[in-house]
Amino acid sequence: MIYKKIKLYALILIAFTFILSGCSRSYKSSQIKFGIFAAQNDLWEEAIFRWKKAVQLNPESAAAHNNLAVAYEKKGLLDEAEKEYETALKLNPKNSYIKANFENFKKNLVSQDEDEKKEKKDEKK
Amino acid sequence: MRRKRKKMKRSKLLLLLPLFFLVCCSTTSYWRVRVEVPAKIVLDLNQYSNIVVTDFLVQKEPNEFNLNQEIVKYFAEGLEQQFKGKVSSKKVSLEKEELFQDRDFWKSLFPDQEGTVILTGNASYTQEIRKAILETRKKRDEDFYPRSQAIEERRFYTLDLSLYLIDTTTGEALYTRAFKETQGYNNPNQTAPFAFFDLVERVKVKLFQSLLGGARIQERYLIVD
Repeated sequence: MIYKKIKLYALILIAFTFILSGCSRSYKSSQIKFGIFAAQNDLWEEAIFRWKKAVQLNPESAAAHNNLAVAYEKKGLLDEAEKEYETALKLNPKNSYIKANFENFKKNLVSQDEDEKKEKKDEKK
Repeated sequence: MRRKRKKMKRSKLLLLLPLFFLVCCSTTSYWRVRVEVPAKIVLDLNQYSNIVVTDFLVQKEPNEFNLNQEIVKYFAEGLEQQFKGKVSSKKVSLEKEELFQDRDFWKSLFPDQEGTVILTGNASYTQEIRKAILETRKKRDEDFYPRSQAIEERRFYTLDLSLYLIDTTTGEALYTRAFKETQGYNNPNQTAPFAFFDLVERVKVKLFQSLLGGARIQERYLIVD
């Protein structure tokens, strides 16, 4: 009878620890989600503030770094954006969304130069 | 017996809870957003107070309209909308391509006028009809094997523009860029002036992005861990 009670309490304890860890995680992700909500409403300064906070809470969050990079890109802070993309990719190299963002970021950087190079080639022809 | 069953149910539920949280936390969700990314400025035109759009050296002129006049008008009007300073146009007779490198010629056009840039260049506008044998599809009612070949025509227009931005104080070309824009149309009745405005718009967008800034609309993913 006592063993059964102990088992039950142990199970309850495990469940609570999971719930609590979920809550702390959700607080971090709530910063990220709030940032996304702000970005969707074109409030990029607020979004940056939220994602910076998310990075402070969890420097290992690839999502926070990725989102911050997008915001920096939007603001024209290209060096900062590049650093954040690189950090995000280091933390989560397999994430296809981060990869896609970084590839498009690099394409956008070189596309103008390529346009000009192509035009110069056409001129030579 | 009932109590035991109740307890069993409870413990099962409690075991399922952590699993539920694990699943919830491990999934990654994303939002696709459209972001206006600022373009890189090659030469900041806004550091000048005046821009003068002069005549262009036209090498191949269409019969339907005055190419030089339309280019000057198009760029002058476009600059007026986006440039903070004063925009004007001036008639200058350009006969040789070498004139673009002649510093004294450009200096003499606007003596004692600092902060002025000249936009000029050479242009040609050509059209051609290209024919190709293409597969066309008939309606099913007409034929059991509804595929046949036919000669299709496309009308192609090409706008070649070499643009020069010249500083009037030094006569030096600050920025040169050549554009070659081509567009094909299915409609053989497509007129040259309409096609010209499609092509010159493309040039304008690229040029103004490099000189006056602007933004490119891009798609990015915002994610949650």
